[in-house]
Amino acid sequence: MASNTNIQVANLDFGDIKKNFITYLQSQDTFKDYNFSGSAMSTLLDVLAYNTQYNAYYLNMVANEMFLDSALQRSSVVSHAKLMNYVPKSPIGAVAQINVAFNGVTTSTFSIPKYTNFMSESVNGVNYNYVTTDYSTVSVANNMASFTSVELKQGTVETYTFTVNSTTNPSYIYEIPDQNIDATTLVVTVQESSSNNSYQVYSPTTNYLALGPTDTVYFLQEAVNGNYQIYFGDGVLGKQLSDGNIVVVTYISTTGSAGGLANNFVLMDNIGSYTSVSVSTTGGSPATQGTDKETISSIKFQAPKAFAAQGRAVSKNDYITAIQQNNLGIPFDAVSVWGGEENNPPIYGQVFVSLKPSGAYDLTATQKQLILEQVIKPISVVTVEPTIIDPDYTYIQVNANVLYQQSQTTLTPSTMQTGIQNAIYGYSANNLNTFNSTFNSYELLSSINNFDPSIISSDFNINVQKKFYPTLGTVATYTLNFNSPLQRGVFGSGVSSSPAIQVANPANTQIALDGVYIEEIPTSTSSVESISIVTTGYNYAQTPIVTITGDGTGASAYATVVNGAVTAITVANTGIGYTSAIVNITPATGDKGTGASAVATLSGQYGVLRTYYNDTTKGKVVVSNNAGSIDYINGIITLASLNPIGVDNPLGELTITAKPTTTLISSSYNRIISIDPYDPAAISVSVTAKN
Amino acid sequence: MATLPKIYADLDLTFNRTPGTGDVALRYNDQAVIASVRNLLLTNFYERPFQPDLGSNIDAILFEPATELSANMLDTEIRNVIGNYEPRAQIDKLVVQLNPDQETFTVFLQFFVGNNTAPTAVNLILQRSR
Repeated sequence: MASNTNIQVANLDFGDIKKNFITYLQSQDTFKDYNFSGSAMSTLLDVLAYNTQYNAYYLNMVANEMFLDSALQRSSVVSHAKLMNYVPKSPIGAVAQINVAFNGVTTSTFSIPKYTNFMSESVNGVNYNYVTTDYSTVSVANNMASFTSVELKQGTVETYTFTVNSTTNPSYIYEIPDQNIDATTLVVTVQESSSNNSYQVYSPTTNYLALGPTDTVYFLQEAVNGNYQIYFGDGVLGKQLSDGNIVVVTYISTTGSAGGLANNFVLMDNIGSYTSVSVSTTGGSPATQGTDKETISSIKFQAPKAFAAQGRAVSKNDYITAIQQNNLGIPFDAVSVWGGEENNPPIYGQVFVSLKPSGAYDLTATQKQLILEQVIKPISVVTVEPTIIDPDYTYIQVNANVLYQQSQTTLTPSTMQTGIQNAIYGYSANNLNTFNSTFNSYELLSSINNFDPSIISSDFNINVQKKFYPTLGTVATYTLNFNSPLQRGVFGSGVSSSPAIQVANPANTQIALDGVYIEEIPTSTSSVESISIVTTGYNYAQTPIVTITGDGTGASAYATVVNGAVTAITVANTGIGYTSAIVNITPATGDKGTGASAVATLSGQYGVLRTYYNDTTKGKVVVSNNAGSIDYINGIITLASLNPIGVDNPLGELTITAKPTTTLISSSYNRIISIDPYDPAAISVSVTAKN
Repeated sequence: MATLPKIYADLDLTFNRTPGTGDVALRYNDQAVIASVRNLLLTNFYERPFQPDLGSNIDAILFEPATELSANMLDTEIRNVIGNYEPRAQIDKLVVQLNPDQETFTVFLQFFVGNNTAPTAVNLILQRSR
């Protein structure tokens, strides 16, 4: 009789299983031909091994699906997430805000109904439908009805009705047969019956603590086939439906991210008989990006975190999870959260949240308010004050030089240039444009060098840029923090501004000077940093007068006298442009103090900015010699008393460019490093062919 | 004649019962090898799980018009499959004869089993099944 000790059960491979059978048969003597491929025994062993392998494989796959980490099927992942009370996010339609005006209106008020259809401009060759998300009414003035910031959402309105029948559907689960539903737009009403038109609106809930038997709530879940299902209370947790009720589900069916970023719209529906309609996004905002249905990997990542947060925001990750889970239909690329105690100086009792929206730079004030009031505050700790602040963008301008072997490529120089430019943008999209990122020269060079095998070598230099919108006609000080040490400029390479601005002529404020730029004064790199006492002197009854002489200007200091001796001299103004400085200590009039002496220590921490314009006859004409300062070490540029009348940019954006001392630039908190994809001058590539 | 020791023992794929005991019938020695050779000749490539090369391509050859060339290919195929997968059979004689009128081949195969000096002979008629 065969011994059971030869049975191996841990193998999954067909060959191994068959080998195990043969090893087992070797311990008996009834059958002998199992080792010959043509034998009947071998045929039977094949069938048995195949069956064993089939079952083992199947069980292995089943075991995989049993755990969130290893599950591959969406339905399994969704089911595991359901145990954690996590509903996967649906696609979310892009949102735009537009201004609409109707001419020739004769009524006193005018309304745009909810779900009015608009058509977008072509996005990648397709025109997308947008609908209004709410009903809006304005008063008519001068026969014109002007609506501002009307919210449009990408998609089409769909409605399904279900009649409640506890015999055919005892679980009261209703499946909406649409994979593209934007669940944030779902409106569920329950009509009493076909003969009774009274209805109640049911609201979504994921919080079961406060539910009572009469609460009109519905629950949302994703079904095995990917559709969404709604189901209702059981009379204990939420109101139960009764037979004959009619459930009406209305929602916007969206294409997600595909329909985003549209800018221009036309009205598709007739509202009355008005044909003279103007639609514009000026003053509103073009469509956001829109998001697609949550992916399997995202559910795997988000569900445990949402479960850990338990609907409360205590740790940093709780805030991030809460915002990502409930983004109110505003898609985000990244979220950064930090405690006020990490600020410099610390601000205790505050949590700062910074959000980078998809397809836009900043959130609008309304969006910030909504997220703060509806998402963050309801779950944050009572004594903690959450604050949303805008991301602080530092742009990097890359100038790359590339040498390539012409004989090894079929690319033309211009294709090579464009390709390398795209490679740099690709590097930026993958590594930058988010919080806590690092600009890494090695990775950038790898992206450039990997573009084409013919590239022999490349190098690059970078500038850092800050972009801001100065308030026109108002004197203001702007502090720009580059968060990176800056290089001291020499002629032609220091801090500069673009585009040109217009300022009032200081000599005659009635005349505006055009073509004015801001630049670093090239020699303004030294200042009096500190003054050390050499001899304290004696008999000083009053504080002596300290004067600093040298080739620079503006430095001043004052002395401190203790018991007739000068014990310290403090620098009040560091001045600028010093290559040498002498400290003179002059006793006050009538004072007998004498003998004190001191030396000045010069430092190059600060530089000075000036404004100038180029005159056709006089050349460079300086408007102001003190337009601000540069702190090279901390990377802070302060534009003092800037008062532009105009900026030569359609959006009024002013860019200040500086050169950092290092190419290793990293960001933290609300700071984002980016290579601006909308700036044609963000990347310049020069290619040199070698024969 | 003395009974040879049962060196080879295999199941009979017809699964007939042994009269008396009622057990599944077994085949011994040269009968087991003959059954194995028949099996190999009638097994097509890719027929057995995870062993695509096991068997012979006889079906495909029979599908072609029956010519002397096919007879030659059959000869090679039979020698290959026995050489590769049936180490017990040492081929002594193999004749593949074309019957052009019937579109069939008569195969006469004679081989030695192990150290047995008396050859074992098999006669087969190969005919396309469709």
